[in-house]
Amino acid sequence: MSAFITSTGMYLPGDPVDNDTIESVLGLVNNKPSRLRKKILASNGIKTRHFAMDCEQRTTISNAEMAAMAGQACIDNSQLSKSRVGLLSCATSQGDLVLPGFGSMVQASLKLKGVELNTSHGICSSGMMALKYAYNSFANNEHDAALVVASELASRLFKATRYEITEDASPDFNAEFLRWMLSDGAGAFLLEPQPRGLCFEINWITSYSHADAYPVCMSVGQPRDKEDTRSWQDYPTYAEAEAAGALMIRQDVRLLDNVVKLGVDGFLNLIEQNKVDVDSIDHVLCHFSSEYFKSRIFDMLEKAGAAIPESKWYTNLYERGNTGCASLFIMLDEFAKTQNYKEGDKIMCMVPESGRFNNAYMMLTVTKG
Amino acid sequence: MDTVTGSAEQEKVPVNNAKSDAELSDMVLTSEGQACLRSLIRVWFEFERDLSNVPIVQRLESGRLSKSDYLLLLLNMRQQVIEGSRWITRSASSFERDYADVRSEVIGHAYDEHRDYEILEQDFINAGGKAEAITSARRNTGSEALHGFMMYRASQPNPVDMIGAMWIIEGIGNKMANQWAEHVRQLFATDNTAKFMSYHGEHDGEHMEELYRLIDRVCHSEDHLYSITRTAKVVARLYLLQLEEIDNENRK
Repeated sequence: MSAFITSTGMYLPGDPVDNDTIESVLGLVNNKPSRLRKKILASNGIKTRHFAMDCEQRTTISNAEMAAMAGQACIDNSQLSKSRVGLLSCATSQGDLVLPGFGSMVQASLKLKGVELNTSHGICSSGMMALKYAYNSFANNEHDAALVVASELASRLFKATRYEITEDASPDFNAEFLRWMLSDGAGAFLLEPQPRGLCFEINWITSYSHADAYPVCMSVGQPRDKEDTRSWQDYPTYAEAEAAGALMIRQDVRLLDNVVKLGVDGFLNLIEQNKVDVDSIDHVLCHFSSEYFKSRIFDMLEKAGAAIPESKWYTNLYERGNTGCASLFIMLDEFAKTQNYKEGDKIMCMVPESGRFNNAYMMLTVTKG
Repeated sequence: MDTVTGSAEQEKVPVNNAKSDAELSDMVLTSEGQACLRSLIRVWFEFERDLSNVPIVQRLESGRLSKSDYLLLLLNMRQQVIEGSRWITRSASSFERDYADVRSEVIGHAYDEHRDYEILEQDFINAGGKAEAITSARRNTGSEALHGFMMYRASQPNPVDMIGAMWIIEGIGNKMANQWAEHVRQLFATDNTAKFMSYHGEHDGEHMEELYRLIDRVCHSEDHLYSITRTAKVVARLYLLQLEEIDNENRK
């Protein structure tokens, strides 16, 4: 079985927003500037990002429409007619609607006729799940082409009013952490069963989930009070759920170190299975924040002969922002269009998800059709 | 080991990427040593995940440990710690002339740690425990199995696989110093009850270097890699049993 990424595309809403402007877009909570903003921004290293929101916190484009824009850009960049697409596989952390599935809304926006549809649910790794669904579909020779789209509109969760409406009207660290981390955007890949031009062959996609071993690390739907085990849907009214902080997005930062450990564990597992030969990797695209590289695990990886030199790492996280499940799609799109690579190059992609610890990996080989 | 420094709450300077090419050339390990280290890192990670499912560890790590829980934890760990110096010195004496350099390293390690149990006992007393309670306690089922296995392996000629045991025990020391000690300090609101746990952080760096050297020195074949990894896995499993038994054996 072979599957090739023959085209890529992305959509980033509006102009880039820099670190000094970010709070005027998301809004001042209780009219006071955040005391944590600078610290968190310094630690994640992000310089600019995009928001599908104006300065009065009005949504400028829906998540499904962003996804459709990225999908269309991907098709426009290809040599294929849209009508040849037989499968649409989509990912997002939160669609515009709770129901139906995100893919239905994206399909409607893209006006794709009669396709097979898949929506994968999750956080950062859901994009890789959607990609794997499409990759697997070629095993049975089911489609001429598959379009995979990952899109995020996280900023809706970060409006100042979301924090003000909670009972204590102020964000705790875990609730504010992601406000300075996540932003909006969409990316898309077109997959075909044969190569076309200079493209990327997918050698394998593998993921390891560790939800059995660790508590929830990133979530929407749990109240601020950790003793309260109710879901946002268990409250008599949604207003009460919101007041309890159950609609806030939270990151349990104390658990974040585990993402690195598990990321490394999965990587070593792939080496052990001979799926990865460290010396043969030419490029690394990783949905990691910079701070992780300060960890001593990376020193240990060097000692173990499993470290990949700095010159091989590529990321556009610092300019395009952390767009969750769309990040890797946006990264490969920009890599494909701006970086130097040649036939035979091996590209290792890694998407660690902190939600409840799911790490996805993919190996690509640059191929010529 | 518990090697990720700090949390996101601490001040961080952005670093754009992994280590530079120049630094990578400083690698000291042989390819067999590197494969062994990769394997041991994975054994550690799996052990750490399993640890997070042990009831008393869950209570400790989520801030729900009671003072009596902590006393039980020390009481049960002490029996393995006091035997620890025995398996290390036994290992040292089992290394024959071709491994004289390894023997020296292992003796140094034993010397560093052979009286650790005294610090542990003092923590127990400072936390409100009675001296005679901890000195007269017996090994729990897990400690019995762990001690038995350690002494058995340490008694084999040239027990290179004991590096795997040292790896797990060192990792536990690391985890206690970097994660568990703070929970205990918060529980008792004082420093003098977690000295045993925090003390292990002090020689952290040196001990890791020592382990790297030993791995490099003794792992030269597929068989070595297998036996070092297997011993690490068995020790990890029995250590879990020792901790699980704390809740099993102290029920009326």
